[in-house]
Amino acid sequence: MDTIYKWFNERLPISNTFERHLSKHPVPKKVNFWYLFGALASVVLIVQILSGIWLMFGYENSEEGAFASVEYIMRDIDYGWLIRYMHTTGASMFFAVVYLHMFRGLLYGSYKKPRELVWIFGMSIYLIMMAEGFLGYVLPYGQMSYWGAQVIISLFGAIPYIGESLEIWIRGDYYISGSTISRFFALHVVALPLMLIALVFMHLVALHEVGAGNPEGIDIEKHLDDDGIPLDSVPFFPYKVLNALVGIGVFGTVFAIFMFFFPEGGGYFIEAPNFEEANPLSTPEHIAPVWYYSPYYSMLRAVPDKLGGFVVMAAAVAILFVVPWLDRSKVNSIRYKGIWSKIAILLFAVSFITLGYLGTVPVTEIRTLMSIICTIIYFSFFLLMPIYTSFEKTSVPPERL
Amino acid sequence: MKHITPLFFLIFATYIFSAGDGAPCGDYGECDTFKPDLWNSESLQKGFSTYINYCYGCHSLKYSRWNRIATDLDIPEDLMFKYLIFDSEVKSGDLMTGSMIKFNAEQWFGVAPPDLTLVTRAHSPEWVYTYLRTFYEDESKQYGVNNLVYPGAAMPNVLLSLQGQQILGCKDILTYASNGGVKRDEKGNNITEERCGYLLSLNNGQLSTEEFDQLIYDLTNFLTYVGEPAKRVRERMGWYVIFFFIIFTALAHLLYREYQKDYH
Repeated sequence: MDTIYKWFNERLPISNTFERHLSKHPVPKKVNFWYLFGALASVVLIVQILSGIWLMFGYENSEEGAFASVEYIMRDIDYGWLIRYMHTTGASMFFAVVYLHMFRGLLYGSYKKPRELVWIFGMSIYLIMMAEGFLGYVLPYGQMSYWGAQVIISLFGAIPYIGESLEIWIRGDYYISGSTISRFFALHVVALPLMLIALVFMHLVALHEVGAGNPEGIDIEKHLDDDGIPLDSVPFFPYKVLNALVGIGVFGTVFAIFMFFFPEGGGYFIEAPNFEEANPLSTPEHIAPVWYYSPYYSMLRAVPDKLGGFVVMAAAVAILFVVPWLDRSKVNSIRYKGIWSKIAILLFAVSFITLGYLGTVPVTEIRTLMSIICTIIYFSFFLLMPIYTSFEKTSVPPERL
Repeated sequence: MKHITPLFFLIFATYIFSAGDGAPCGDYGECDTFKPDLWNSESLQKGFSTYINYCYGCHSLKYSRWNRIATDLDIPEDLMFKYLIFDSEVKSGDLMTGSMIKFNAEQWFGVAPPDLTLVTRAHSPEWVYTYLRTFYEDESKQYGVNNLVYPGAAMPNVLLSLQGQQILGCKDILTYASNGGVKRDEKGNNITEERCGYLLSLNNGQLSTEEFDQLIYDLTNFLTYVGEPAKRVRERMGWYVIFFFIIFTALAHLLYREYQKDYH
């Protein structure tokens, strides 16, 4: 056994990699539950990839067969329903943990120097995830798949000059059809997952280079022991792995409650109109995206002009990328920032959740007004950040964790 | 700060929840309550039999197979073939594609009757349960009936002989004062006012109202089952999985605490 291990180790950096990234990788010894969502996101990614592969065994990527093949999976394949619900619930859970993971970043300044690249890789993952989720949502070819795709693709049509050709290019046809399904299928199961995996890899490589942050927002590298290891750190394995296992246990329970008892998530995970096959001749009463896109959908609807709405929506995601350069605060963590930062992040969270709710219900005058106000708050949080973070009075974080 | 937050939510909530969206059951308002009982084979069998006799002529269940239903509902296959399958070409593993030709159906009804495998999921079991009980006489319609839940429905009331006719009528209802009490005149009699749009039964069907409601209950129960045949198994399995995760979490937590002693 030893000789075999040695043989491999001389040819492949097994023990080096294991020590560098797991057994000896130092992580801050005191962090809170907010620091678990990264690990949970990678667990869901694996769940999604595996359940996705199993779904492909039964799925048929054609206009005539797509919807029926999903019901075939639900009824005729042994435990097909389990795999399918795992994938649909997994999609929502993926976004839930990623949103919490991102909010953790905003709370504790995880994007600040030297972690800018970690943040940017993370945002790229989020962007690809949104595309991945949308493409996957179209594949069962239910009513909401069809009309949701109609709305989203037509947004590209609002781009001046190239819009119309761009729409046709995306659909591969003059309307949503079998060609659209086949290309969405290829992108959903091959192209975007490859990009996701590559980006997650880069996200982790960059993170391990600069080290994980902590809720105090302080640099643990300042106090090292004789071996050059931070005093306030513990090895990733087994300490943080065990911590993550507790998180995985709690998360698994929540996941199972939804998957086994509320797989439709009250109409937020799988929308009721998606139990009817796509019908280009009949529009559903009201078209609403699944919950994880609804904040942006509200922003889109808040702007009366289609192109304007599209620009606002794109800007709402784009602005996240530059947060590392918007935050001018001397401290990283919200714990030591001033009152303005605290108010700002509270308003931001409330407005984002409100936008999320508004995106799932039909438009009324008062709701449109609320969407406009919340959209303004959303953007103000970022655009005013250089001002309120540089002028407010901050307190002094401790030296050690 | 802590005092402002709830107030903030309250103001937000009052504004955004205030607008009225369409009632879930159309002109009927709130749907009647319906609680499926998917382990009640007798109810499901009755519902299945009603479906085959009254609905299947027009409405297919094309994602479902005959033998799956037979197995799940404890119906011996030979009995199913004898009493419920009227087409000699059908094999037990076939999908229940129905017998109506789409072109004919469109000629007869204007629209082809939809497949109903997933109807309880596209609407809700409550919706189906209420819809099937709220047909009323309306001479202006092609088949002489209209529906409160789904006004303008193209479907004739195929269960008319069982339920009997219903008409839209008016009735006297109690009026309420602002304090919630019933309004009374000086002599202490309740003040009523006439409101219209209520379903009144002419009681000329073969079944009593209770019997008919039970028939529709069984039918809706069956449709709820067929919408997701795995639901019973899913919920039972769910308890085991949750039990596993709770034990797992507890053990992981104990182990984590033990290891934490190393650095605390």
